[in-house]
Parts: sequence; structure tokens; C-alpha cells
Amino acid sequence: MDNLSFLFAANAFVWAGVIYYLFTLKKRNVSLERDLQLLKEVIEKESKQ
Amino acid sequence: MTEDVAEETPKENYFLLWLTAVVIFAAIAAIYLYVPTDKTEGPVQRIMYFHIPSAWLSFFAFFVVFLCSILFLWKKDREWDIYAHASAEIGVIFCSLVLITGPIWARPIWGAWWVWDARLTSTLILWLIYVAYLMLRSQTAPGSMRARYAAVLGIAGFLDIPLIHFSVLWWRAFHPQPKVITSEGFGKGLDTSMMMTLLISLAAFTLLYFVLMGQRVRQEKLRDEIDRIKKEKLYSH
Repeated sequence: MDNLSFLFAANAFVWAGVIYYLFTLKKRNVSLERDLQLLKEVIEKESKQ
Repeated sequence: MTEDVAEETPKENYFLLWLTAVVIFAAIAAIYLYVPTDKTEGPVQRIMYFHIPSAWLSFFAFFVVFLCSILFLWKKDREWDIYAHASAEIGVIFCSLVLITGPIWARPIWGAWWVWDARLTSTLILWLIYVAYLMLRSQTAPGSMRARYAAVLGIAGFLDIPLIHFSVLWWRAFHPQPKVITSEGFGKGLDTSMMMTLLISLAAFTLLYFVLMGQRVRQEKLRDEIDRIKKEKLYSH
């Protein structure tokens, strides 16, 4: 590995880590929003019955 | 209340998101196009512009954990517990990046990936403390007891940070001496262009922290809202 490859590796780790974390946050948020929406729909259905 | 939490998000954070993206691009441009290559270390020295801001971000995140944990123990308000938990997760992510980029930088310069130097060891201990903090939170049942134990660990863990900062001054170390906050003054250990680039990179990482915190805090609030509705539904039957 030459000097430049180490720089590339460090750079790749940092941005891959940040992007992966952002992606998992987004995924978790979407899943929680869906759960909340489902719950609201169930409650609404029950209140109509 | 339910709708408040769900709709609280992105719209108002768009400005922060765009600002963060612009400053990140400015930092990358400064790192690769503006700052001169270090004469002694060569291009690999540019790792410093990711390594130091990652360390700064993790220390800042753990400081927020420390502060919010104190406020939680004092006020007993769940809001502070949410902030502490969110900040600890971000702190661990960036502390991991410090522990990854450090050895990658060290290998061509020191000829070794890792040495049991005081700063490296105390940083590894910091990472382990906050990994334990997150494990404690994930392995115990939600409630005020979990929040209290976590708060105590969050406060105790922060005490390692001054030790990390002063370790290179107190003991003989492989790790370089502080470059930004030195005994001669702020930024005296670096050339002006290097200092400017480092400051832009520090600003980019700080903004990134607030973007991530916004998302992470919202997530915890959504989870609380779901739990509240489920409990209400359970008791209504």
C-alpha cells in the first residue's frame, strides 16, 4: 500500500460510515412512521365500529 | 401529539441539511485542492482533516451525554434522557471512525497500525465505556431505572476525555502533541492554510452532528409515541 492508498482508505471509511449511519437512521425512521400510521388507522377503525 | 412528532421533521431541517452539505463539499475541496501537501508525511497527512474532526465530534457528543445525563438526574425529565441516548450513539460512531482512521494514518508514519500509547489506549477505553452505555440501554427494560443507570455511566465515562487530552503532555507518547489548542495559543501548531482547512472540516462535522441528532431524537420521540398509544390501547380494553 502506498501513501495515497492509506489516504483513500481513511477517506472511504469515514464517508462510508457516515452514509451507512444516515441510511440506517432513515430506514428506522420510515419503519417507525409506518408503525405509527398503522396504529392510528387501527384506532380510527375501532372508534368507528 | 401523534401528528406533531411525525410532522416535526425534515421541512424545517432542510436549511440545516443543505448548509451541512455545502460545508462538507467546501471541506472536501479545501482538503484536496487548497491545502498544500505536508513535506514530511506526504499526502497521507490529509487524514488529519477527517481524524481530528471525528475526534472533536465524538468528544462533543459525549459532552452532550454528560450534560444531559446531569440534567436528567436533576430534573427527571425523559427529554434529557432522549438527548443523552441519541448523542451517545453518534459519539460511538465517530469514536469508531477515530479508532479506524488513526491506525490507517499511523501505519505509513510510525510503521505500526497500533501502539499501546496513553492517548490511543485512553481513546479505546472511552469507546468501550460508551459501547457499554449503549449495551446497557439495549439490554435492560425501558424505564426510569435504565435511564438512571445510563446517566451515571454517561457522566462517569466523560471523565476519560480530559485524560485523553492531557495524556500526550503527561506521559511520553507516540501520538503528536496538540496542534489546535496549544500552550502558545489557539492554532499556533499549524500553518495558516492547514488551520483554515481544519476549521472548515471541524465546522462540517459539527453541522453533521446536529443533522444526525435531529434525526435520532425524532426517532426516539416516535418510539415513545408508539409505546404511549399501545399502552393507552391496552388499558382501554
